[in-house]
Amino acid sequence: MRELRKSFKRNDPVLKGVDLDVCPGELVVVLGANGSGKSTLLRCAIRLIEPDSGSVTLAGQDMMAASGAELRDVRRRAAMIFQQIHLVGRRSALENVSFGGLGRVGGWRSLSFRGFPPDVVETAWRSLERVGLVDKAWQRASTLSGGQAQRVAVARALCQQAEVILADEPVSALDPRAAEDVLALLADIAHADGLAVACVLHQPDLAKRYADRIVGMAAGEVVFERTPATIQDTEIAHLYLGELDG
Amino acid sequence: MASGPAAIARPPRHVPSAKRRLLWAGVAIGIGALYWHAWRDIDGSFGALFSSWGNLGDLLRRSFPPNTDVFHASVDACIVTLDTALIGTTIGLVLSLLITPFAARNLSPHRLVYEAARVVIAFTRTIPAFIFALYMVVVVGLGPYPVALALAIHSVGTLGKLFAETIEDMDMGPVNALRAAGASRTQVFLHAVLPSVSPTFVSLSLYRFDVNVRDSLAAGFVGGAGIGFLLFNSIQLFQYKDAAMELTVLLVLLLAVERISTLLRARIV
Repeated sequence: MRELRKSFKRNDPVLKGVDLDVCPGELVVVLGANGSGKSTLLRCAIRLIEPDSGSVTLAGQDMMAASGAELRDVRRRAAMIFQQIHLVGRRSALENVSFGGLGRVGGWRSLSFRGFPPDVVETAWRSLERVGLVDKAWQRASTLSGGQAQRVAVARALCQQAEVILADEPVSALDPRAAEDVLALLADIAHADGLAVACVLHQPDLAKRYADRIVGMAAGEVVFERTPATIQDTEIAHLYLGELDG
Repeated sequence: MASGPAAIARPPRHVPSAKRRLLWAGVAIGIGALYWHAWRDIDGSFGALFSSWGNLGDLLRRSFPPNTDVFHASVDACIVTLDTALIGTTIGLVLSLLITPFAARNLSPHRLVYEAARVVIAFTRTIPAFIFALYMVVVVGLGPYPVALALAIHSVGTLGKLFAETIEDMDMGPVNALRAAGASRTQVFLHAVLPSVSPTFVSLSLYRFDVNVRDSLAAGFVGGAGIGFLLFNSIQLFQYKDAAMELTVLLVLLLAVERISTLLRARIV
């Protein structure tokens, strides 16, 4: 059982009780206007933001009951990818990727990159290979292009050896071609590596081409949840228009 | 829209109200009274300044030529002063790096921890190094060592404050990214915080070293070590020719340290 379910309620509700399942081997895209609660949803899932109520089950483990070291342990099983990428600019691509494995490195070994266990560095290297950037391994992250940097961030998520990847508008800052690359990569990771990938997007066309399932959100609620083939463009357009009316 | 210079309306003259004028008059009288009191308090006297020109001339006459015999002793003492500043700055740097993660609002694990760290920083920063030197002499005895310790304690406050502010201003993105990946606090600090702020930290530390060289002069009077102590002694014993040589060597040292520190910092940032 590797599913992720959550439902939250708030006084000034950002999320008015949302249910969402993401299964292994599946890329689920969440669409919705700004302020519809998509990002909050993802952040609540690993408790970067504390939900008021509701529950999250990640790979059979109850997220809400975990605390301290236990929470870190559960968080490790879900990797997060951000719109602003958030690499450590003054470190190399490979080092950044290996930071994804920090949760598995204990004590003194994690003091410096040179001390990282070989298996973590090897995983980092293979993750970079997976995103096609081994030739940039020793390049400073701050010198990478936006698309390359986001692929390094995907590699960091892979190096974390998580079972779930949560991507928050991963391609919003990228040009169309780089956006295409990153999304194809995410879809491939879901399908070939069997990870559960949830991805917040603002590009309906990309969503329709790559997603296995599309979830439409408006004003903190799920409006629809279907496969791309059965979704009308007008339904998607309504997501954004509805927000204007409200 | 046609609008020549003539079309620009002159803003109405601002006339302060009577109440405001009264307020300003009060402030002016208050400041005047403050200076009158201060001047009285320090026994300030313009007369003394002008009537004692002769003393100054005498002092200069007795300072020349600088005594070359004390040149070597001055250089040696300067090296002691530099070493004192180096050790003091380094110990202070290590200690402040340990306290900084708790003194930065955005990293501190708890409000109380943050407040406690800030109290330590405020205390060590506010009290000048030579005061700490007075106490350290009691603890470890005379010599350059208590001076170095005093500089270290004071540096915890000065560096800690600037370090914490640097961290509070940094981009929290990578920090959150690593936290989300399950990294511990220490790991986040080492791999996300330090790399982002290290150039600033190095620059601040170099500047602190520069300041500590000067601080170690005054603290040196107390500890009885370094070029500051030599200079202090020579003046106390009316050996103005010795003092002139020591002052010259000291000046060269200070200018060199400041210049090198500035050059290094310019290369880093």
